[in-house]
Amino acid sequence: MPGSGRDERAWVRGAQAGSASDLEALFRAHWPRAFRAAYLVVHDSAAAEDIAQESFLAAVRALDGFDRRRPFGAWLHRIVVNRAIDWARARALRAEVELQDGFVAGAERAAAPGDDVLRALAALPPDHRAVIVLRHLLEYTPGEIAELLELPRGTVNSRLRRALDQLKERV
Amino acid sequence: MKSDLRRRLERVEIPDEHDTRVRAWEVVERAFAEREPGRRRTPARPLLALVAAAAVIAAVASPPGRALLGSVREAIGVERAEPALFSLPTGGRLLVSSDAGAWIVQRDGSRRLLGPYREASWSPRGLYVVASGGDELTAVDPKGTVRWKLARRDVRLPRWGGRELDTRIAYLAGSRLHVVAGDGTGDVDAGGMPAAARVAPAWWHARRHVLAYADTRGRVAVYDADAGALRFRTGRIGDVLGLEWSSRARLLIVGRNALTVYGAQGQRVWRVRLPGIVAARFSPDGRRIAVLRRQDVLVLDVHRPRGRRTVFAGSGAFRELAWSPDGDWLLVGWPAADQWVFIRVTRARRIRAVSDVSAQFGGGGFPRVEGWCCPP
Repeated sequence: MPGSGRDERAWVRGAQAGSASDLEALFRAHWPRAFRAAYLVVHDSAAAEDIAQESFLAAVRALDGFDRRRPFGAWLHRIVVNRAIDWARARALRAEVELQDGFVAGAERAAAPGDDVLRALAALPPDHRAVIVLRHLLEYTPGEIAELLELPRGTVNSRLRRALDQLKERV
Repeated sequence: MKSDLRRRLERVEIPDEHDTRVRAWEVVERAFAEREPGRRRTPARPLLALVAAAAVIAAVASPPGRALLGSVREAIGVERAEPALFSLPTGGRLLVSSDAGAWIVQRDGSRRLLGPYREASWSPRGLYVVASGGDELTAVDPKGTVRWKLARRDVRLPRWGGRELDTRIAYLAGSRLHVVAGDGTGDVDAGGMPAAARVAPAWWHARRHVLAYADTRGRVAVYDADAGALRFRTGRIGDVLGLEWSSRARLLIVGRNALTVYGAQGQRVWRVRLPGIVAARFSPDGRRIAVLRRQDVLVLDVHRPRGRRTVFAGSGAFRELAWSPDGDWLLVGWPAADQWVFIRVTRARRIRAVSDVSAQFGGGGFPRVEGWCCPP
C-alpha cells in the first residue's frame, strides 16, 4: 500500500538526493497498483510489466525536476494508465512475430482471463477499462480522473456509467 | 457493486506477479544508479577515494613502492611504441570520439575534429558520419560540414545502415529506439515495448532495413523497419554488451560471459561461454570473430568457435576493438598504457603500437574507436 503523504514526500526528497533505499520505498509502495492497473487495462502481463516499468523509468528520469508537493502516485498513475490505453489501442496495429523454437521466447500471449471480472473488462473498450480501473481500483474521484486523462468530467461520468452497466450485465 | 468490484479487481490473479516486481526493480535501480543530472554521490565515495589516493602516494613515496611503480610501467604497454600516430598500417579511415569530440583519422595519420560530438558512426559507404551530442542527432560530411540536425532528448548510440541511397539511422532517444531516414526525414519511435537498453543497435547488411536491438529485459529483438514489425525476439540473454550482423547474415550477441550467434530467421546457431568479454566483432568477411577480454585478444572461426587463437595479451585492461576494412589488422585500445595496438592477424603476426593516444585527441579520457571504415 502507498505510504502516507509525509512518507511519500520524504522518499521523493531522499531519492532526489540520491538515496536508492528511498527510491526502493517508493517503488515498493507503488509498483503493485501500477502494475495491476496496467494489467487490468491491457490484459497482458508482459505488456503490463513493460508499461509499469517504463513509467517508473520515466519517474526516475524526471525525478530531479519533480515537485514534491504533488502526489507521486497520481503522477505515476497518469503515465501508467495513459500508456496502457495507448498500448491497448495500438495492439491490433502492431504485428509481432514470436518464434516458437526452443531458443527463443515464444510464450508471451495475453493471459487467458480466468476471472469473470477480467473477462467482462476485456469486452470493454480500453478507455472504458481505464476509467473503471482509476475509479474502482485506484479510487480516484471522477473529477480527478478527468484531470488525469485530460477529459471533460461529463465524458468521464458517461464512460463510467456505461462501463458499469456493461459490467453488471456480464458479472 | 462498488466495493465488491474493488475487491474483485484486487483479487484478479496476474501471472508472474512476484517475478515481475523483482525484474522491474532491477531495471529501475540500474537506471537510478546511471542517471546523471542532479546525481549526488554518497559521502563515503570521496572519502574512500581520498584514502585510496593517500595509500598510493604513501606506497609510491617509499623505496619499495618506487620499485613497484617502475615494474608496473614496464609491464604495461608495448615497448618501442611510436610516439604518435604517423600512419595506419593499412587502408581506410578511423572514426574516433574523445572528450573533445568526434574525429576522423586518415591513413596518413592526419586527424580532423568534426565537432563536439559524444558518439559517432560511419554511413555505410563512409561518405558521411552521424553523430550525437546532448539533445541532437547530426549528420556531417568528413570535413565536418553539417548536412542536417534533428533535435531529440538524450540522443545516444546512432548507427547508420542500409544501402546506396536508401539508408536509415537507428539511435536511442533516452530509452526509446528511433529510426530516421538517411536524409534526416521520417523519424519514428520504432521500439515498442519494452524500452531499449543502452546498447548500440545493429543494422543487417541486407536490402531490407532490418536491425537488432537489446531491450531492458535482457532480450534482443530483430525489427524490420520497412514493415514496422518485429521479425523475432530472443529469450532473455542477460547483460548484452554489443550486437553486430555479419556480412553473412549472422547476428552476434556479445554478453559478459558468452557469445551467441543467431541466424537471420531467429534460429540460434551456437553459443560459446568465455569469461570476461569486453567486446567482440565480426571480421569484414564474416568468417572470424575477434574477442576482446580484459587482458587478451582472441580470434575465433565462426564455423568452429571452440577453437580459438590468442593474438595478443597484456596487463592492465583493454577497451577498444576494431577490424581494418581488409580484415588483416585489429586495433585494440589499451588505456592503462595510453596506447593503441595494431595487430596483424593474417599471415605472420605483427604488432605496431602508438603511445600518448589521449593527448593526440585533445587530452582528457582515453578515446573511443567508433569504426574503421572503407577507404575514401
